[in-house]
Amino acid sequence: MQKLTRSFNASRRDLLFATLLVTPALAVLVSLSIYPLLYSIQIALQTDGPAGPTWSFANFSRLAGDNFFLAAMAHTFIYSAVALTFEFVLGFALALILNSTIRGQRVFRAAFLIPMMIPPVVVGVVWRLMLNPNFGAVNGVLRQLGINTEQLTWTASPRLALAAVIAVDVWQWTPFVFLVLLAGLQAIPQEPYEAARVDGSNAWQTFRHVTLPLLKPAILIVLLLRTMDLLRVFDQIFILTEGGPGFATETVSLYIYRAAFRFSDFGYAAAMSFVLLIITNLISAIYIRLLQSREGVA
Amino acid sequence: MSLKREVDQFANPPRWLFFSPTLEHYYEAFVIQSFVQYLITSAIVAVASTACALVLGTLAAYSLARFELPWNLDRKLSLWILSTRMFPAIVTAVPLFLMMRDLRLLDTRLSLIIVYTGFNLPFVVWMMRGFFVEVPRDLEEAALVDGDSRLGALWRVVLPLVAPGLAATAVFCLIVSWNEFLFALVLTQTDQAMTLPVGIAGRVTQYEIKWGIMSAAGAVAIIPILAFALVVQKYLVRGLSLGAVKG
Repeated sequence: MQKLTRSFNASRRDLLFATLLVTPALAVLVSLSIYPLLYSIQIALQTDGPAGPTWSFANFSRLAGDNFFLAAMAHTFIYSAVALTFEFVLGFALALILNSTIRGQRVFRAAFLIPMMIPPVVVGVVWRLMLNPNFGAVNGVLRQLGINTEQLTWTASPRLALAAVIAVDVWQWTPFVFLVLLAGLQAIPQEPYEAARVDGSNAWQTFRHVTLPLLKPAILIVLLLRTMDLLRVFDQIFILTEGGPGFATETVSLYIYRAAFRFSDFGYAAAMSFVLLIITNLISAIYIRLLQSREGVA
Repeated sequence: MSLKREVDQFANPPRWLFFSPTLEHYYEAFVIQSFVQYLITSAIVAVASTACALVLGTLAAYSLARFELPWNLDRKLSLWILSTRMFPAIVTAVPLFLMMRDLRLLDTRLSLIIVYTGFNLPFVVWMMRGFFVEVPRDLEEAALVDGDSRLGALWRVVLPLVAPGLAATAVFCLIVSWNEFLFALVLTQTDQAMTLPVGIAGRVTQYEIKWGIMSAAGAVAIIPILAFALVVQKYLVRGLSLGAVKG
């Protein structure tokens, strides 16, 4: 009996210790993410009237009729979908190719670190320079290949600007998809492959029924992380085009920035942030559900 | 580019290799313009916020990895902490700007240190939790039997075992803080608190862009990152996927 009480006391002391360790971190996170979130709900739901702030949904109802917002939404979705597709297909292909060759892997991995590690601002500056129509490296090379570059003004052209910023994202983030999927591939044990060989399945069947299911957790994680980052893209576009020419490359994040810090329309910016937050949460919830349905494998 | 004279920069066709190198842009950027100050701010903010996030995050991670809290709280808290990392940065940028304005902390290094600590904290918790789970329990229990306190066991037995992971996590936090742009742009206005990315960006959006100076500043911003990236190469995949994939 005495022994029981003592162990109870010990575990209560452990509990106290555990709580003490977690509390400071939780306090910081609550004040830097939960509190700001509530604060922004408040400013989104308030509009300034002659008799001080009044509560209303005005900021949210404005969204539906705002063509800048709808265009920014469209740019964000196009940007995310196209970039995600290219990054995933290219990264997956590279991972599959390099997984089968042992030589050169280390060199590739080291070289692939560079684009995603350098500051996005520097990426933006370097590409803005390279895409400069007159003295940039891209058109310089094309001219030397005998291609007429007069129409290729890249970031200054309303039609090419979105493609150009997407290409930069693909350049920067394909290595990430590649590295995560390569790590996933290398974690797959050899036995299922041997079993497949014994069963006489061809390369496609092995890929479809062995590699893909076993790689599914890594695939979902890479897609989840990339989607979240793509939907909130800001830095590179801000430097490359500032959302222009006109508003041809303005994404939701850039429009929120413009509304809040150029026009000081904080309530409207907060309302837009909420729409963005809800969309990203819905998408991540779908990924996480897919991921958990496979938890047994992972 | 940062080593080219201006006449060579705009040569057509571009001169890739055969130009006379010059250090004048580095001199102009870092001696005449305020890039040296940006560099110092970037370094201070990155180091201070990393240190804060590491201390708070490691303690929390240890607790979440080792103790079963009632009502499954340890699992729920871990997931909640991860979810705060998934917020789009712009969503908290607007209220944090207003909060910092009310606290009169706008345009100070302290505001950036606070925000980056919060930004890195979920990452530290998840990375370190993964490393702590891998340490066998017996070692600590042996230390406890030898009369060590819980904190003593953590400090003397567990931390040395996870030191490589701790170092890798620290390097990731340094890189994230060093590269961060949006909050630095929003929370700073003058040279006294601007970080290197904001300083560079501020020069880009002007009408005439001094490409030589820009490239010099860019090169200086990249060098520490490359050095760090090589150090953590082994943990790279794990870090980039928030500890989800063990590369």
